[in-house]
Amino acid sequence: MQSDFVNNSANISLQLPTMLSEEGMENRRGPPGVNSRSLSIAHSAADLEVLREIENVYFHPPSEFDAGRYVLEHAPASSCDDIERMFAKLKRQQQVVSGKALHLISQQRDTCDREFKEIQNIREQLSTTLQTCQRARVQLRAASNHLTISTFVILANFRKRQIIRSVLKSLELLRSLRSVEKDVAELLLKKEYFEAIELILKSKKAASSHKEYTCIADLATRLQDTLDMTEEKLDSVLASICYNFDENTFRKLRKAYALLGKTQAAMEQLHMHYSSAVNESSIEAVKNYVGDCTDMKFQEMCQSVQANKAPICLLNLCENLFLIMRSYYLLVDWHSKHDEEESIPISSNVFEIEKNVSREYIRQKLKAGLVRIWNDVQAKVSTFLKSSGLEEYPFEKFIQMLGVLRKLTQVAEVFCGDKSDLLQDFIKTQSVLYIKNYHRGRMEELKLFLENEGWEQCPVKSTFNLLYLQEFKQFKKYLNIRSDTSLLKTHSDGASSVHSQEDSVYIAKYFKQNTNHTPFEIFRNENITNDDIFGLEPELVSDDSEDDEPDELKRDFVDENDRLEPNESPSKVKDSVIVTNTTLSVLRHCGQYLQICRYLPQISLEVVMLMNQLFDYYFFTVHLFFTADLDVASSTLYSSKLNSVLKRIKNNIDTENSGVVDGKIPSPDPPQHLNFTSEENLHGLSERIVAVESVIFLAKQYEILQPYLESIVAQHQRMILEHFKDNTLAVVQDLRVPVYMCSASKSVDARTALIAMSQVKWDVKNVAVEHSAYVDMIIRKIQVFALRLENVSNKVTLNIEVLNSIWSMVSKFIVHLLVEGFSNATKCSNGGRGLMQLDYRQLFLKLEKISGLKPVPFQDYVDKYVKAYYLPRKGLEDFVLERVEYSNKHLMALVTCACENKKDRQALSVIIEGRDAAV
Amino acid sequence: MSESYEYLFKFLVIGSAGTGKSSLLNNFIGNKFKEDRCHTIGVEFGSKIVNIGGKSTKLQIWDTAGQERFRSVTRSYYRGAAGALLVYDITSRDSFNALSNWLRDARTLASPNIVILLVGNKKDMEESREVTFTEASQFAQENELMFLETSAKTGENVEEAFLKCSKTILAKIETGELDPERIGSGIQYGTGTSKRLSAPKKPARSPSDCACHV
Ligand SMILES: Nc1nc2c(ncn2[C@@H]2O[C@H](COP(=O)(O)OP(=O)(O)O)[C@@H](O)[C@H]2O)c(=O)[nH]1
Ligand SMILES: [Mg+2]
Repeated sequence: MQSDFVNNSANISLQLPTMLSEEGMENRRGPPGVNSRSLSIAHSAADLEVLREIENVYFHPPSEFDAGRYVLEHAPASSCDDIERMFAKLKRQQQVVSGKALHLISQQRDTCDREFKEIQNIREQLSTTLQTCQRARVQLRAASNHLTISTFVILANFRKRQIIRSVLKSLELLRSLRSVEKDVAELLLKKEYFEAIELILKSKKAASSHKEYTCIADLATRLQDTLDMTEEKLDSVLASICYNFDENTFRKLRKAYALLGKTQAAMEQLHMHYSSAVNESSIEAVKNYVGDCTDMKFQEMCQSVQANKAPICLLNLCENLFLIMRSYYLLVDWHSKHDEEESIPISSNVFEIEKNVSREYIRQKLKAGLVRIWNDVQAKVSTFLKSSGLEEYPFEKFIQMLGVLRKLTQVAEVFCGDKSDLLQDFIKTQSVLYIKNYHRGRMEELKLFLENEGWEQCPVKSTFNLLYLQEFKQFKKYLNIRSDTSLLKTHSDGASSVHSQEDSVYIAKYFKQNTNHTPFEIFRNENITNDDIFGLEPELVSDDSEDDEPDELKRDFVDENDRLEPNESPSKVKDSVIVTNTTLSVLRHCGQYLQICRYLPQISLEVVMLMNQLFDYYFFTVHLFFTADLDVASSTLYSSKLNSVLKRIKNNIDTENSGVVDGKIPSPDPPQHLNFTSEENLHGLSERIVAVESVIFLAKQYEILQPYLESIVAQHQRMILEHFKDNTLAVVQDLRVPVYMCSASKSVDARTALIAMSQVKWDVKNVAVEHSAYVDMIIRKIQVFALRLENVSNKVTLNIEVLNSIWSMVSKFIVHLLVEGFSNATKCSNGGRGLMQLDYRQLFLKLEKISGLKPVPFQDYVDKYVKAYYLPRKGLEDFVLERVEYSNKHLMALVTCACENKKDRQALSVIIEGRDAAV
Repeated sequence: MSESYEYLFKFLVIGSAGTGKSSLLNNFIGNKFKEDRCHTIGVEFGSKIVNIGGKSTKLQIWDTAGQERFRSVTRSYYRGAAGALLVYDITSRDSFNALSNWLRDARTLASPNIVILLVGNKKDMEESREVTFTEASQFAQENELMFLETSAKTGENVEEAFLKCSKTILAKIETGELDPERIGSGIQYGTGTSKRLSAPKKPARSPSDCACHV
């Protein structure tokens, strides 16, 4: 309706310009409204001319142009005619224009009418629209009047209800907030930590969003308190984790801390708890063994632990510390398991990255924590050990302590892969200290034994060796006595496999969650053996010797015959075993030392060296006691090796007994109970034999041990043992010479013999047929010696070696005695020399018979001396120069008798005197 | 070292084999009792510092083998003992019968003043007892011995035995009946006393002036 209306009016406006423009196009110059075509149709050409003549100014709108005035102004002033003509012209112009306008109007009328009709139409339509609107308004008003008011009432009611509800909620909240404390306590009791924290946090949030209530402020502080208390409670539960890791509890705690946003802080806290747990349980372990320990530091407590309680105390300490280590181990284990489960893929999400970083931090922390806790543990144990005077413990206890420590190092290896260098070093130094202290005690004991030793042969079987001793039972399998060439059944791994694979598997078992056992509890068992402690394999009965050895072990190695069979000739005795009580005690000590070695392979060398010191001391003592009365010059009695070994040992012995020399062993006091003066017993020969032979036996036992000893020390240390073997053990036989010489040199009284010899006339003309009297005298003495030796052999089993060495000492003494006697002869003829030969031949013949020595040794000594008499001048000079075994006095006497020429005599004397300077 | 004492007493433990001498000593010095210990060979040794009447005293104890064939070996250890435990086994009449021999040895080989305590060991084996307490008391009285019954197994009276003997020695020193200065008394002053026995001088060992040049 409206659009039609608009369109119509548009049409109207459009038609006018179209009409006008047509005209304009035709005649630009012409006055507006003049259309040539219309002119031609309606008017005559005259009219057109008239129109053309109209001045343009007249076409201006009347508002801008006053036609009257214009005419007046332009009216010609000359004549009336002119005015008349002008008037006529204008009149004509007016007529034409009016006609023209009329014509145009009529021409446009139809169109105008049509448009008017249209306008009318639109107007009608408008009025209907208006009516519709008005009607709608009326209707709407009615509708609104009827509907809105009741709705609003409903809405208002609804809103009220909502408000009341929220108030109710708040009230309920307030009520629940009031009971939060109680609920939290209940939850905590049920170990629902997460829920408790959640409750508190929610409550706090609720409280903070209800600040409008005045009571909330109060409640909020109370909630904060509850939160603090709950966190404290969580902390104490966290602390208890240190003593016993419980997966469930820990999981709950972790969740709770995560909720609090304190996962990392909680881990830090937990580590602090572990540190203090180490501290506290250490104190706990020691406390019971210390009287009043208030205000005591741990170290002080350790120092006041009674020595006899220390092992059990250490055990407690280790057990307590182990529990903490296990708890930590389980914690780490738990984390590594859960890390895998929860591991988050690398993500660019900021939150996730943060979480990963925190996780990584905790992982590192835990890893470092293992070592840190172990170090704490080590420090505690070291403190305890340092203050516990470990070196004073009885052997068994010490071994047990070592066992505990060794187990601890194994635990550490499983725990954090640490090799416990610190503790190992400590064990080593303590062991060395212990063994040194132990050794000092053994040395003191040995000194006592030696001082009290009766040097009686202990009645043991002729097959006796160190393996018969209980102390060596364990070593049987390493030492094979039977095979002569190699005594060793090498056992290269020896006892040094301290950490075996099985050990760690075994220890790892104790790190499991569901066990209350600790690896230390075996030490609580009274019947535990050292091998159990050290996890050494039990000794198997050696397989190749089953037939008789176990039997022998059970049997006493003591000779069951109460008396030795006297009718057995010494020369037939092959395997006599001469040991003293002290020998056995030294061997027993050796066995103990080696047992220590089994448990402390790292100090084997030290132990072996101490063992050797036992030998040295025994060796030294025998020499000291039994050569004290040596009354012949010793120069040829001591081999150079014997001299140097005695010198070496002497350096370690405080021979002055000043008691002030540090680290030196006091020299044993010579025994008063031994009788060295009685000729009857050959000046203590039986004691001397027992002493020397027992040293030799002892050396043999040490030699049996050598291969085993070599197997327990490090490769580069073997040469030390070798040196001992070659320069000490191999030299002991040389001790027979000076010791037996003490008795041998008293077989014949030198002074009497020399006097007897001096009474012989050596300047006889003819060679005698009969030997001199002193020879018989000496032989008689030797016969007496032999008889007395026979008596000795009733007391001591003399083997042929011993006998031979005794007799050769007798022989050595005799030849020196003879040379001495011969050299006393100031005058000596050829006949005299002959007599000398006759004498000593006779003597040696007899000596050979008595002693059984074939030939009697050392004959050369006297033989050469006597025969030198027959040497020419040059030979004599060489003799004098080369034979250093004869003294100057001997040689002077020789020269005096042998050289008839005085000049030669003097020359040779000069040479002899010059000998001392040359040597 | 840390150990200091005022006196040192030399002690003997004697008696027949198997009567428990080694067990007694081991119990006293703190070792575990062993059901089957092997026979003592010759002598063994143990020492312990005890406190007797306020004086710390070191006991140097020699445990001897009881078997006859060791007599010669053990004899030298008797010398100069200050005290002795003479042990028999209450479950063995033989061991009781052998006491007189042991006693004679002790009095002749050790010092005649030796303080001897008679010990009836294995008191714990009441069911196999062969020697009554009265019987042994009487023997002790007749021979002027002190007497105790002990058990090395349970430890009953073990320490008492050693202490009682030591106390008697100490009392005798104090009354002057025993003279520690006398050589062979079996008593020495320890490190804790001022009058320390000077170590006996060793005989000077001089090279021989014998005419022989060896
Ligand atoms: N029931 C019991 N047995 C003992 C006691 N003393 C020693 N024995 C046992 O008797 C045996 C011999 O002991 P031992 O000390 O070697 O005697 P020793 O030869 O005198 O040294 C061993 O088997 C000991 O176990 C004791 O008091 N009671
Ligand atoms: Mg014994």
